[in-house]
Amino acid sequence: MTRFKMPLLTLAATLLLALSMAFGQRLVVSQGIDVPGFDPHGHSNAAMEAVLVNLFDYLVWKSVDGEFEPGLATSWEPIADDAWRFTLREGVVFHDGTPFTGEDVKFTLERLAGDDGLAEFVNYRQIREVEVVSDHEIVIHTDGPDPLLVNRISRVGSGIVSKDYVERVGWEAFATAPIGTGPFQFVNWIRDQEIEMAAFDDHWRGRPAFDTLLHRTIPEDSTRVAELMTGGVDIITNIPEQDQDRIGTSNAARVELAPSNFVMMVVFNVREGTETADPLIREAIDLAIDRDLLVDGLMGGLGVPTAARLNPGISAAPIDRYFGVNNYDPERARELIAEAGYAPGELTINMYGASGRFALGAELTEIVGVMLEEVGFSTNVDIREFSAYSSTVWNAGAFEHMVVTGLGNSFGDNWFAMRALLCGGQYDDRVGWCNERFDELMNAAETEVDPTARAEMLHEATDIVAEERPWITLFQRQDLVGVSSDVEWTPRADGMLWMFEATPAN
Amino acid sequence: MTAYILRRLLQMVPVVLGITLIVFLLVRASGDPVAIMLPDDASQEQIDLLRRSLGLDRPVMEQYFVYLGNLLQGDFGMSLRFRNQSAFEITIERLPATLQLAGAALLVAVLISLPAGIVAATNRNRWPDRVASTLSVIGEAMPNFWLGIMLILIFGVQLGWFPVSGRGTPAHVIMPAFALGTALAALLTRLMRSSLLEVLNQDYVRTATAKGLRRRTVLTKHALRNGLLSYVTVLGLQVASLMAGAVVTEQVFAWPGIGLLAIQAINSRDMAIIQTVVIVASVVVMLANLLVDLLYSLIDPRIQYA
Repeated sequence: MTRFKMPLLTLAATLLLALSMAFGQRLVVSQGIDVPGFDPHGHSNAAMEAVLVNLFDYLVWKSVDGEFEPGLATSWEPIADDAWRFTLREGVVFHDGTPFTGEDVKFTLERLAGDDGLAEFVNYRQIREVEVVSDHEIVIHTDGPDPLLVNRISRVGSGIVSKDYVERVGWEAFATAPIGTGPFQFVNWIRDQEIEMAAFDDHWRGRPAFDTLLHRTIPEDSTRVAELMTGGVDIITNIPEQDQDRIGTSNAARVELAPSNFVMMVVFNVREGTETADPLIREAIDLAIDRDLLVDGLMGGLGVPTAARLNPGISAAPIDRYFGVNNYDPERARELIAEAGYAPGELTINMYGASGRFALGAELTEIVGVMLEEVGFSTNVDIREFSAYSSTVWNAGAFEHMVVTGLGNSFGDNWFAMRALLCGGQYDDRVGWCNERFDELMNAAETEVDPTARAEMLHEATDIVAEERPWITLFQRQDLVGVSSDVEWTPRADGMLWMFEATPAN
Repeated sequence: MTAYILRRLLQMVPVVLGITLIVFLLVRASGDPVAIMLPDDASQEQIDLLRRSLGLDRPVMEQYFVYLGNLLQGDFGMSLRFRNQSAFEITIERLPATLQLAGAALLVAVLISLPAGIVAATNRNRWPDRVASTLSVIGEAMPNFWLGIMLILIFGVQLGWFPVSGRGTPAHVIMPAFALGTALAALLTRLMRSSLLEVLNQDYVRTATAKGLRRRTVLTKHALRNGLLSYVTVLGLQVASLMAGAVVTEQVFAWPGIGLLAIQAINSRDMAIIQTVVIVASVVVMLANLLVDLLYSLIDPRIQYA
């Protein structure tokens, strides 16, 4: 009997190997939400873009560390104040086999810049025209100098589509059967269940290591974790902090820390007549908040305190001066309250927060409130469901003193981070802060193409915001990503689930 | 009979119209979809542009009458989240998954409650009755999302018997069906027990026993059929709570039915989808109630519809 055991085992192993080769290597990735469709320009959401980057390429790609690197463009340079030349990669084909040319870039970028119904229109309309010099050379003309052009075309919405295909089938059909030049090609989509993609053999970077890429939508965090632990999925995002150890100690998967460009912050109302118009009060609030405690106690260590809206990877930002800084000095905060003329407990700060948008957003607001009470403020904490908060508090500009919120930075640039604070800008009518010098610097930086000069301007602008405190920042948020032991993959700072970089372990 | 069914179907029309108005206003009162669709630091211009392109800048009642006009022509509107895709098609595409889950949960509930209720009633105040009653209380007390998570942890992660989430093979439906059906099974067990006990005390049952019929015959031919009347009534009414329970269960098990669709639509304030899901779910519940009323006449020939 034993004589037959070894040959039988060998036969079984060979069969299994043959079967796995026949079915190919499959990688399953899971997030809590699904894409709304596959029109890469029809949304403004990083989690959705995270999926679409597998199907579409940008002209300029960002490395894991956020450095620009060639994508569909092999090189680029400014040739005038308002024009950039891009040399396009040769030999690139779309998933249907048609070649990629400058006409596709023109079609894509001019759509983004011209259709005000698209969510990302406002971030692309600076593009005036895309001039096709030849099949593999284009010039992008902008409305005035645009130092952010490369950031602009390497982010949400920048996926290049096939002009020929869209003109043949229309956008409606494209949204459910897309064609791109990305490492994976579309196979099937079952809404809110799964998206199936197959490795694209003719991808210009080479063939991805996995034959099939499946994106599954699993809204419940604990279910996503259970699927990772049982091998049902290989990579999951947004792991609850409390599940970190459970996954870490299992042999099935590991937990990786994913930095993000997302900063939690407090925005003040500084209009005349409100108590927070007094810089002493804003400073007292700033010094009352212990960011280390927030990160360690509330966020389970997932974050880094920061004293400005920046983090490593953000261009033209004084990272060294502000990142990792915890402006916490409760004694000084008490003195400032007294200097402002209030007895302990006399001044009530009305603060608002949202639930359901940011991880632990409601709890964060409450704890910040407790910290303010520690130094001698009274507080009214008002937490509303996000869309109610958004329409009745934030967009209505209806908050007396402060809101606790969070903001991402899809451009990865410091100008983008502070643009909302310009006089007459997005925040002016809500918070009433306007600073001439800040505007001068920001307006100059908006059109300054020399990176050094631009960085200097933006460093000074950052200092003004830190000094005047129309907003104060709390911490850079970090996320937990679970990766199966069978897969090699490192999470990216921009949150993109780009699976060209994933390979089987061993 | 046909006239009765037609009358009942016609009665649904004003109910559905009332539902459209309520859900339309509630959805608009509860938040702004544009705020969720755009990043938090989107410019006012970006917000205004999107609001205009979605027709949200017009007065609410004007929006409602436009919606109603379209509805009467069979147009339920376009999804905000799945842009340019029909809300009705998306909802209908998801209905089979919910009906499969609700059907499986109903089956679980009936397969547990019918024998358990009969055993409890025929063994009144003895240990099988006490066990059934205790389990019923526990079953009703467990929230279905908690039960779902426990089932996943025990039978999915620890024992590895069933797939953790999603929809595909018949094995996928087992845990969600138990999570959704357990509370109903508990309720129906207690109902079956009490209604059977009531019937067992009736004179005609005593007469049947007295004339020497076998216990099994008395139970199945005389008692059970009458006991089932209230059981079926509650079963029909509970279709509504199964649809409501499916919302939570589908979320836990990533089951792609209209419950999950509803949650995602609420999160993104996808008005057209929320409205369509509510209308479709209401129609399903009303049809289920009609079906139960019709079943009455089969169970109890005394009931006639004209």
